[in-house]
Amino acid sequence: MRTFAELMDTSDLPSPAVPKARDGGAALQARGLLVHLGGRRVVDDVSLVLRAGEWVALVGPNGAGKSTLLQLLSGLRVPEAGEVQLAGRPLAAWPLRQRAQALAWLAQQGEADGDIAVRDVVRLGRLPHQGLFGAPDAADEAAVSAAMADTECTAWEARRLNELSGGERQRVLLARVLAVQAGVLLLDEPTTHLDAPHQRTVLRCLAQRARSGAAVAVVLHDITQALAADRVLVMDGGRLVADGAPRDAALQAALVAVFDGAFSIEVVTAQGRPRWVAVPAL
Amino acid sequence: MKSIVIALLVGVLGALPPQAQGQTTLTDDRGRVLTLPRPPQRVVSLLPSLTETVCALQACARLVGVDRHSDWPAAVRTLPRLGGLEDTQIERIVALKPDLVLAAVSSRAVDRLESLGVPVLALEPQTLADTRRMVLRVAQALGEPAAGAELLAHIDARIAAAAQRVPPAWRGRKMYVEVAAVPYAAGEASFIGELLGLLQLGNVVPAALGPFPQLNPEFVVRAQPDVVLASARALADMPARPGWSALKALQSRHSCGLAPAAWDSLVRPGPRLGEAAEAIADCLAGLAGLGRIEP
Amino acid sequence: MKTAPLALAPAARPAAAALTPWGLAAALAAAAVVLLLLGLAAGAEGWSFAWGDDAALISAIRAPRTLGALLCGALLGLAGALAQGLFRNPLADPYLLGSAAGAGLGVVLVLAAGGLLGASMGLAAAGALMRLGLVGAAFTGALFGMTLTLVLARGAGRPLVLLLAGVVVGVLLTALADVVILLSPEALRGKQVFLLGSTSFLGWSSVVTLAATLALSLPLAVLLGRALDALVLGDDSAASLGLPLPRVRLALVLVMALATGSAVAQAGLVAFVGLVAPHLVRRAVVVRHGPLLGLSALAGGVLLLAADLAARSLLAPRELPVGVLTAVFGGSYLLWLLRRRMAS
Repeated sequence: MRTFAELMDTSDLPSPAVPKARDGGAALQARGLLVHLGGRRVVDDVSLVLRAGEWVALVGPNGAGKSTLLQLLSGLRVPEAGEVQLAGRPLAAWPLRQRAQALAWLAQQGEADGDIAVRDVVRLGRLPHQGLFGAPDAADEAAVSAAMADTECTAWEARRLNELSGGERQRVLLARVLAVQAGVLLLDEPTTHLDAPHQRTVLRCLAQRARSGAAVAVVLHDITQALAADRVLVMDGGRLVADGAPRDAALQAALVAVFDGAFSIEVVTAQGRPRWVAVPAL
Repeated sequence: MKSIVIALLVGVLGALPPQAQGQTTLTDDRGRVLTLPRPPQRVVSLLPSLTETVCALQACARLVGVDRHSDWPAAVRTLPRLGGLEDTQIERIVALKPDLVLAAVSSRAVDRLESLGVPVLALEPQTLADTRRMVLRVAQALGEPAAGAELLAHIDARIAAAAQRVPPAWRGRKMYVEVAAVPYAAGEASFIGELLGLLQLGNVVPAALGPFPQLNPEFVVRAQPDVVLASARALADMPARPGWSALKALQSRHSCGLAPAAWDSLVRPGPRLGEAAEAIADCLAGLAGLGRIEP
Repeated sequence: MKTAPLALAPAARPAAAALTPWGLAAALAAAAVVLLLLGLAAGAEGWSFAWGDDAALISAIRAPRTLGALLCGALLGLAGALAQGLFRNPLADPYLLGSAAGAGLGVVLVLAAGGLLGASMGLAAAGALMRLGLVGAAFTGALFGMTLTLVLARGAGRPLVLLLAGVVVGVLLTALADVVILLSPEALRGKQVFLLGSTSFLGWSSVVTLAATLALSLPLAVLLGRALDALVLGDDSAASLGLPLPRVRLALVLVMALATGSAVAQAGLVAFVGLVAPHLVRRAVVVRHGPLLGLSALAGGVLLLAADLAARSLLAPRELPVGVLTAVFGGSYLLWLLRRRMAS
């Protein structure tokens, strides 16, 4: 019986030609982030570091503030206290376009809605490089094609976005994010509407991007998938309660505690390596 | 025996139809029958042509309120203004305690006033025949039927006199009458067209097109009317319209631009039609020499 | 539309639209040419192809009003596509942001300037209004309405707030216009005419104005078309792509104001053209917003021209208000859409 953990193992695959992030490993740093929404502390004194070459999973119960944290990290929301630094410079000091080239963000829900063709949607990911009035060149088209190949949506490139199902649309939007070829990728639940094989494809793709030098942070709901990451951040009630590798006992204990003991974390061996799995405690 | 005769006489007298006692019964344009017990002394008018009719019948003093747009004669301008077609001030009307309200059929106030017990006569003339009937009925309602016939005779006389004053060269010529800039024209079938007919003037807009058709401007240019009749303001804008500089009537200034007072008398189907006829005749008489006009 | 230089996966069959954008453009252009020629033949006596005899009438009246109808329709189609892209709502039309109500108020003020209201306005004000003329007043009014909306919504940053502000301004200015009409009844007829739309008095000067406006607004809009594409992703995602959203939205609103104001000033408040033209284009082809804006302009021109021809020729020499016909076309199309929705 092959577990998901075994399926997630990427060590035996040849690495495809994923282009290096143009910014060469921009790292993201956050210190003391604080934000209130509707009177509540949605993000409360959060500090973290994202390094190039690693992919980090961000988990926590509903309402823990994960999406808001991601918005703060990407500069879409301004914190009331604290600061975010991209490649050593404060986020606010980055010019909009350059920031958009260095940092790509995927929204949680599909608020995308339109009649334009899929390929044109993915091509929007090249906007930070072309500017509003620029025209796409061969490098841009190559990036778009690669991104669509990575998310396996090349077959629909001429179809309207609105004609696709939820899962198909999700992959197109992810391709848009990948097409930016940014050094920092912040993704809010990129696997929500996808079935298992496509979830694997997406996560493998993100892991490859990380190997090639990007700093990737992904909000995930599936704990087992999160435990396949290089590092796991656990949030609860706006605070960052744990930050460590999946093998850390402290991290595992924090995970279980935050989810009220709904599962236990077990180790399995897959392809000769330890992998951690969340087993529901029914 | 005498007492029986007296009793019989009283009985017969008592059974006589009410008209004999100063009561009036008339039907208005809605087909409703209105009975007025005595000649009304407090009259409200909600349509300019009806206001003018009341005053032309020498009953101006009986008016206690008029609508916003009534402006002739000058005396009515001091009367309380009771709103327009859409926003008639029902409360004020009732407060004036009128014993007769004259209104247009299309006024929304009519039903409301009637339900409040106010006697309403709804009249809205469309043709000359309607206008004559309107004058007679207003006169009857006011208890002065003879005055109505007199007024009509007076108007007819003025129109006939005006017809005499139209220079012979103009008789039978075709006019173009514009009532709104779209262009909306007054055709043969309208009361304005009928009035022109009485002045022995023709119309470029035949009866088949209806009383007030919206026309293709090309039609007017093609038709080459002999005279253009419009309000002074509309006339001033006409030469600037694309293609209208080709109108010979405009080129040779064979056009009558009526001042607002005269224009009102033309577009209101009421007692001042005689005045309107005179204004038209005067204008035609005053137009520069006809020169050679093609027959 | 560019195709990718890479081969598609062998098993895939792209679901291509039956028509390419260029194909649609060609078809619409052909339709426009045919309608333009018909327009030269639609006269007061029905259809007449004796153009030699009518040369003066054609050059002075028929030609400019036909061209004018095409240009007005193009401006309305463009503005409609902009509105639908800006608000990401397929039912948006260019009159949403107070332009219609503002133009109506301007028209009514000019018409009233000579009457009762004019007497109280004072000679100078009334004189100034008369010089502005109906066209100038409608244009100024439309821009005023949209400016008021932008001020109320504090810029174009939030679409929902902008929409609400537009509704408020529309209601307010319409009420003001109604008050003016009450005080000056001679304005009523003129306003009704304006509301229903008419190309009767479009002359060559109008055509030049309209052409200049189209030449200015269409390229500007197409240039900004990529921003509308980005908005498809949602506001936050579009912002994360480095777009200065508030400024771009403001620019788009201004172009929309220019196009709508000019069209409304010349031809009145013609309904449905701005709503239906982009719809028809999107049903026919899959395009980005750049080409969509251009095709919507073309489609709008064809629509209004067709309606104008029908208005002129159905009851010749009488004319129907062109707005009535566009409402019939537009309403029928929406009805058909509804039935398709319910059937599927």
